[in-house]
Amino acid sequence: MEQTLFQKYGGFSKVSRIVLDLYDRLLDDDEVGPFFDEVDMARIVDHQTKFVSSLLGGPASYTDDQIAKMHRHLAIHTRHFDSLATILAETLADHGMEPDDIEAVVKAFDQRRNLVVD
Amino acid sequence: MSIEAINEQLLRAIGVGVALLDLEELTFRFHNDTFSDWFGEPDPQARLTDIFSALDAAALHAGLNDGGRYTTETSFKLRRRTMTVAMDFNRALDGGQRIAVLVCQNITRIKELESMIDSYSMMVERNTREIKREKEQVEKLLLNMMPRSVYEEYKTFGVVTPRLYDPVSVLTLDFSDFAGLVATLDPGVIVSELNDIYSAFDRIGEQFGCERIKTIGDAYITVSGMPDAAPDHAMSVANAAVRFLRYLKQRNDSHPVKWQCRIGISTGAVIGSVVGVQKYIYDVFGPAVTRAVRIRAHAEPMTISADTTIAEMIEAKFSRESLGTKDLGGGEEGEIFRMDVIAEQNSGYGLAQ
Repeated sequence: MEQTLFQKYGGFSKVSRIVLDLYDRLLDDDEVGPFFDEVDMARIVDHQTKFVSSLLGGPASYTDDQIAKMHRHLAIHTRHFDSLATILAETLADHGMEPDDIEAVVKAFDQRRNLVVD
Repeated sequence: MSIEAINEQLLRAIGVGVALLDLEELTFRFHNDTFSDWFGEPDPQARLTDIFSALDAAALHAGLNDGGRYTTETSFKLRRRTMTVAMDFNRALDGGQRIAVLVCQNITRIKELESMIDSYSMMVERNTREIKREKEQVEKLLLNMMPRSVYEEYKTFGVVTPRLYDPVSVLTLDFSDFAGLVATLDPGVIVSELNDIYSAFDRIGEQFGCERIKTIGDAYITVSGMPDAAPDHAMSVANAAVRFLRYLKQRNDSHPVKWQCRIGISTGAVIGSVVGVQKYIYDVFGPAVTRAVRIRAHAEPMTISADTTIAEMIEAKFSRESLGTKDLGGGEEGEIFRMDVIAEQNSGYGLAQ
């Protein structure tokens, strides 16, 4: 069976660091951060854990319908989506992910653009 | 710089929030920089409960009076981040005045980690449940294809050793004019009818200790005496055969499609094994199977045929009527009998027709 990026980069013990780092960066970012202003910490962490796990082929997966439904109430614009893509790529790079893999992850992320951007 | 000055600088700069409280009024006598970074600069008149509105002052006093110590947690937002701080109050005396030392540790990361572990473990547990469900489905499927003991062997060792079972009894059944039915009926109807009938046969067979081996189109084969030996294997297949006929008769009375089956029963040895590597199937073959198939060929519709050996084994409950000496294939000939259940002994089995 083909190895997922989740397995390649050391499973949850390593991916958990990516998740928390991403969490820090998202909250600090003034473009994306405000989306989380009124959201409970546990929910944001849960969201980031599932987000990273699903992008890397870990134990979470979402159908397009689920993704669309979860983001329907948010006014997400292109610039927000682009910011998140940049932050995601930077975070993955800082955790030692290879450029080809980062490109694949960002591409997979970008494929969901139409599901969430208004 | 004096030791006191160094101590005060350290106390101001460390990453732990520290404050001294007047215990009578719960006002602040001192706080360090970390404390004010987190909770803001307290007014000179501000009381502890002004800053921490959720703090239970009575519990704090009780804890300090009792063991001299009180601990609690508080959460607040710093920009958009939820911070969680563990607060530890310790009673002390300052020149005869009752004071408390408050030490605040930042446990935000621990709380975030706890949330992440909760989230991850829930995902993993859900996946584990799904895998378990899939495994059960695979197991169910394999148990449809082979007896449980064979399945256990296959699961443990990855292979199944072919085994000789002797003696066992074999029942084979097919339908008269199956080709005609296939030509006239809708394929969906044929499949649904066979599914219905074979499921009923499986249930009946199970009651009598028979293990269904396979079906090939209209041919149905079931065996008694394997994988576990059964002393009454011959009677088991004979009893199942009678029930099969009875079931079909009743079914034909109420269904548009009339099924006429022929049954052959035989006894002897068979070999049971998983055959195939990629598309494997559990199969039995051997003299008892071959013979049962040939005996069946001589059966009239809706009757049971047997050879001498098995006929003698079940003669206590089944009468026989000779159909004459027949060709059993391979140059072999033998007397074939039509078997009928003996009426007066039926009642106990509920087999009266």
